[in-house]
Amino acid sequence: MCGIVGYAGYRDAAPVLLQGLRRLEYRGYDSYGIATLNKKICIHKKAGRVSELLDSPDILQGKVGIGHTRWATHGIPSDINAHPHLDCTEQIAIVHNGIIENYAQLKRDLIGRGHVFRSETDTEVIAHLLEEAFSGDLLDAVRKTLPLLTGSYALLIVSAGDNRLIAARNQSPLALGIGDDEIFAASDITPLLEYTSRVVYLDDGDIAEIRPGSYSVYIGSQPVQREVHEITWAPDTVQKGGFEHFMLKEIFEQPDVIHQAIHAVSELTLPASLRDASSVTVVACGSSYHAGMIFRYLLEPACGIPVRLEFGSEYKYTPVPFSDVIIGISQSGETADTLAAIRKGVCNNVKTVAITNVLSSSITRSAHDTILMHAGPEISVAASKSFIAQVGVLMQVVNLLSGSCCTDILDHARYAIEQVLLTDLTKAVDLCSGAEHLFYVGRGVFYPVMMEGALKMKEISYIHAEAYAAGELKHGPFALLSPVTPVIAICVPGIAYDVMLGNMKEIKARGTPIIALGIEDDGDVRDIVDVVVPLPKAHPWIQVLTSTVLLQMLAYHTANRLGREIDMPRNLAKSVTVE
Amino acid sequence: MSLQAVILAAGEGTRLRPLTQNRPKALIPVANKPIIEHTIHSLLEAGIRDIIVVVGYRKEQVMRHLARLNLPITIVRQAEQLGTAHALLCAKDRIAGDVLVLPGDNYIDPASIRDIAGVKNSILYTTHRQPSNFGVVTIERDTITSITEKPTFASRMTVSCGVYHLSSDLIERIIKPGLSEAIDAEICRGTMLTAVMAHSWQDAIYPWDLLAMNERLLPYITPEKSGTISSSAVIQGHVSVGQGTKIGPGTMIVGPVAIGDDCSIGPHVVIEPGSSIGSRVKIEPFSVVRKSIVMDDVVIASHCSISGSVIGEGCTIGEFTSAIVKTGFIPLGDTAIRSSCGVIMGNGVFCKPSITFENTIVGNEVHIEGRSNIRFTCTEIPDKTRVM
Repeated sequence: MCGIVGYAGYRDAAPVLLQGLRRLEYRGYDSYGIATLNKKICIHKKAGRVSELLDSPDILQGKVGIGHTRWATHGIPSDINAHPHLDCTEQIAIVHNGIIENYAQLKRDLIGRGHVFRSETDTEVIAHLLEEAFSGDLLDAVRKTLPLLTGSYALLIVSAGDNRLIAARNQSPLALGIGDDEIFAASDITPLLEYTSRVVYLDDGDIAEIRPGSYSVYIGSQPVQREVHEITWAPDTVQKGGFEHFMLKEIFEQPDVIHQAIHAVSELTLPASLRDASSVTVVACGSSYHAGMIFRYLLEPACGIPVRLEFGSEYKYTPVPFSDVIIGISQSGETADTLAAIRKGVCNNVKTVAITNVLSSSITRSAHDTILMHAGPEISVAASKSFIAQVGVLMQVVNLLSGSCCTDILDHARYAIEQVLLTDLTKAVDLCSGAEHLFYVGRGVFYPVMMEGALKMKEISYIHAEAYAAGELKHGPFALLSPVTPVIAICVPGIAYDVMLGNMKEIKARGTPIIALGIEDDGDVRDIVDVVVPLPKAHPWIQVLTSTVLLQMLAYHTANRLGREIDMPRNLAKSVTVE
Repeated sequence: MSLQAVILAAGEGTRLRPLTQNRPKALIPVANKPIIEHTIHSLLEAGIRDIIVVVGYRKEQVMRHLARLNLPITIVRQAEQLGTAHALLCAKDRIAGDVLVLPGDNYIDPASIRDIAGVKNSILYTTHRQPSNFGVVTIERDTITSITEKPTFASRMTVSCGVYHLSSDLIERIIKPGLSEAIDAEICRGTMLTAVMAHSWQDAIYPWDLLAMNERLLPYITPEKSGTISSSAVIQGHVSVGQGTKIGPGTMIVGPVAIGDDCSIGPHVVIEPGSSIGSRVKIEPFSVVRKSIVMDDVVIASHCSISGSVIGEGCTIGEFTSAIVKTGFIPLGDTAIRSSCGVIMGNGVFCKPSITFENTIVGNEVHIEGRSNIRFTCTEIPDKTRVM
């Protein structure tokens, strides 16, 4: 959940690290810190966002350094709990992304042996363990220390009087950027791409010894070779390009993204395990879970294959998987819980398929097959285009499994999304931005669409929004309806149309304002509700996509009206690499 | 200090409706690239790299497109479309010295840009047969003596191309909202502005003008043959075929023609010179397309004949549809305008088989259903109409 960067080369390290941390800010932004090597270790660390720091502080001298931007897990966000952490002698500095599960035991032992702890973090134990193991060679000390740790980590370590940077990884992402006479390290490749397109992904258990201009990777003391990948996206694709927020840019990229996603998998590349499956389990978290739920509503009637759907975090409490195939959906490919589910499947000899946006992410290396959704880098913490891409990929899977009967419909998806991007939502935003509570209701496949819409609203506008299957409203939540709790409903022609009309009348009878997503010239809907958000007439699959986009835009414009931090909502981080 | 360029792309281009309902004029594709991209390429070719684009109407669409180009372009937003000079002033904070000001919705060739970049305080001009649609300039011994924007009666055939090379102190003095008026006021105050003759320049006032612009720009496309082309397809002249496009057997394509990515064309389709086909377009057997712009995601069913037409994004054209070029007057609002085209179709139009269009404008999302064998001549069908 945190972001780490390291540099060893010919430039001044501090500005490079600062810029890198700004790029990683989406991974956590409650405190930051940098350490550079200049005979002794120079440190600057602080609670707050790294983007608030304009120039690198003068004390940070040196050509080798490490940096960290934090999403607090152990200890509140404060100057002291910010990384880097030092040992007692202030000779060793480390930054860490992940969680050390046995830190409490280790900490007790270390205090017993006379070590003085400054912070409440789990990370600090590593610094003290390294101090104990250190006998002249930092690499050696790291090799002795790592076996003592259980949990997940990506580590960067420097020690005074040594121009090396040591990196180690276990279950947290870490990549190296190979430049000319300079080496970079970071939690993901966006900060590296400004300087180089050659990237090495470290594997679990790897230790990398980095010098300015050269690096070697070891497992234990055994040298290993890791493939150098050439990255083809230009760093400019992660600029705002004039948009006020990354989220808005990403929403507007969706027409192209849906097209790419639909073509990400074809008759020839569909994993055989999916083709032969007679039962499927989908494991995912957050927005990806909603994409999985849409998949269930589409696949079950189309192919008669039962779909079981689980949250990644709950899947570990279920018995050995009994489906033919497990599909794990994760934008980043690093979501700890989804990754654990895939690994559980592999251990139990069940075929696994990963759907992700990031090539060479941990999930792609764990699952048997991978479908890449080609959404391009997503920076905004709230998922928009990656969700559409997931739904696009899953719709194409359903289409392929049901004999490609819906190809013509999917061909229309791109234009349909382009069309709804122009919708004027002012009236709906007026209603939402004044509310403290919102209810989202839908039936059938539109129920998960509403769940996703409510999640977006919660995430970025901080308005309490809950989604219900429309029929469930009467079993309790109806008690909460009042003239100040607007309801957002979707009512389009189909099997649920008449009953939705009835539901909306019941809601309206309680004096509750309704915003309805409905067909533009549908008089029946217009007569009941307060605001109609027009949805073009189309096949239900297309309406799933267009209504999703409209709900994203509703959340975005509401949050913007309320002046929220849209790209980096409070307390959240983009990729959840802790359980 | 190198010369900066400010491209004005905030305007809507109302006379190009229905095509500008969903996008600003600068984003209309000509020779398979938005007009503004041709301008940017001309600037780059003329060695000008510091580019500022002012966006306004449908700004998200413009910004999204520019972001895809991966060029270091600075974006400036104009909140309200109050005029071209106001748009320029929105970019004032980003302007360091002298600038070149260009419209985002005209074609200007690199040679003209090189010429005007060399002359401080100057205006690019050309001659036009219908000068009253533009800013008419009077010139005496290479010096501009006046500019009159869209006069009722034009006294000269010389018109401003909307391209100016302005010094920073002149920009400081601008107060009028329109750039032509502002410059005219400067001339009255005694500022000397040099007239520079354009080599190649083209504007599109009305939708059918896009077809001429398309024909002018198509010869400059880079010919390439990606995709899958059947061995029995015949491809002659200057033709570019994008990635993932499939050209079926027996298809004949005579250049200059540009075809985008992921299209499916043929078998047995004929595409004649002066045609641009966007991306993801499907053209079914025995159809003919000539001198037309077909935008992205269009489906043209079999046995169609489309000439001199602009087909907007996402249209579906039924079997046996004909678009025949005819010259006549189309009533638009309270005037009638002389036009010559087959059909100008907005986005997302659906039309049933066996319909004939002559010199007709069809609005966005119009559905033409029901009876076949309808013939539309010299008419305008408004947006979202359902023809039964």
